[in-house]
Amino acid sequence: MREQPDGRALLAIARTVLREQLLPLLPKEQHYSALMIANAMSIAERQLQYGDAPQQAERQALVALLQQDGDLILLQRELVRRIRLGWLDEQTEAQQLLWNITEQRVKESAPKSLLRDGAKG
Amino acid sequence: MSAISATMPLQQQQAIIDFLCRVAGAQDVQLQTVKLLTGGAIQENWLLELDVIGGNYAGHLAVVLRSDAASAVSSSHSRAQEFALLQAAFAVGVTVPEPLWLGEKSVFGRDFFIMRKANGIAAGHRIVKDTSLGGDRELLTERMGEEMARLHRIQPPNENLAFLPMPQLSPALQGIQSFRQFLDQHHTPFPALEWGIRWLERYAPQTTELVLAHRDWRTGNYMLDEKSLTAILDWEFAAWSDRLEDIGWFCARCWRFGQFNNEAGGIGLRVALYRGYERIYGQPLDWQHVYYWEVYAHVRWAIIAIQQGERHVSGQEPSLELALTAHIVPELELEILRMTLNHA
Repeated sequence: MREQPDGRALLAIARTVLREQLLPLLPKEQHYSALMIANAMSIAERQLQYGDAPQQAERQALVALLQQDGDLILLQRELVRRIRLGWLDEQTEAQQLLWNITEQRVKESAPKSLLRDGAKG
Repeated sequence: MSAISATMPLQQQQAIIDFLCRVAGAQDVQLQTVKLLTGGAIQENWLLELDVIGGNYAGHLAVVLRSDAASAVSSSHSRAQEFALLQAAFAVGVTVPEPLWLGEKSVFGRDFFIMRKANGIAAGHRIVKDTSLGGDRELLTERMGEEMARLHRIQPPNENLAFLPMPQLSPALQGIQSFRQFLDQHHTPFPALEWGIRWLERYAPQTTELVLAHRDWRTGNYMLDEKSLTAILDWEFAAWSDRLEDIGWFCARCWRFGQFNNEAGGIGLRVALYRGYERIYGQPLDWQHVYYWEVYAHVRWAIIAIQQGERHVSGQEPSLELALTAHIVPELELEILRMTLNHA
């Protein structure tokens, strides 16, 4: 058993305290550091939210695309090898997979940039 | 001596005073202020406010002493080389802090040089929003283009810049080779970035004419006062390259600090930048090729961001800022995909 609130919820409330209570009291030259801390906490929160599911989905998609099995790093290396050989140059299905994998990583690391950018176009 | 913050050891201060007396031909030099400025992780910058008595520099003199930081990264130029680059840029009329004196290790314990202090603000986020800085923005954007074209008048061979390696391949292919070499020895593969590199390989331009390119000329790396541009900074990446590399780096979406419609560095329109460039260059350029160098800019910035993140990840230099830089990589990769997937 794990105590509630869990890590994700703790990060969320801690971040709220940081932004709403501590930040206004900090000297201006420390605001950047405080905002970096809040950003780091929100990335960690989102990683906890998504868990390992995106990695598993990526692995399965790569197994299907490359027609070979292995752990994720190994499959990514094989994909890289084929990209360098030009294997993906005209492969729209593989290109779409590349997009999806990257978009998921953006959802964890910098989701605001997705809102700003809109959809693929 | 009242305003001195005791961050520079007194012995070092005395050594600098002696050095300045000698190179400035002064009877005496008094240090009014010594202050460590926020510099990069690679270099250390000290502001020195001096009263110079006698000689050609008599009077008040504000200078910056730039030295290697304790943990200098080997890939950047040495201080002597950076000094030579500043001298070369200064000589062709690029707005840089005037390089004054090159120092010796025996004086300061590390290599250093001294340049005149430039006044103004460099912070990118502030510059793109605060239009009270830099004067008329259209003129400022044109000026950026003019300054770049002036720098690009410097071409190889140049005996003062003999330390700059001549690319064995075209600048684009040389870059691609170094990106791949780095990624090959890195612990994590980056397939989307590799796609971008493959695209760069497929569409790599020939580059018939090499010029001295700054290679980090972007908003955040120059200073503005209320009226105008006061200095182009951070010359440590300068190399012989394609003239459009600087233009592409300056215009790349990732360096617009959120002001995406101001495609020239978040401060103005491309047409103004291009107009300024052509005015000094003296002939029209095929600006279509800038797109290639903007993709290249995103790829190169992604590689640098991975490297910066790795300094934290490896435990070598724990830093929240470096750690967060690693998390910029995915959005750079997505932008690379956006720029290249539908673009043949």
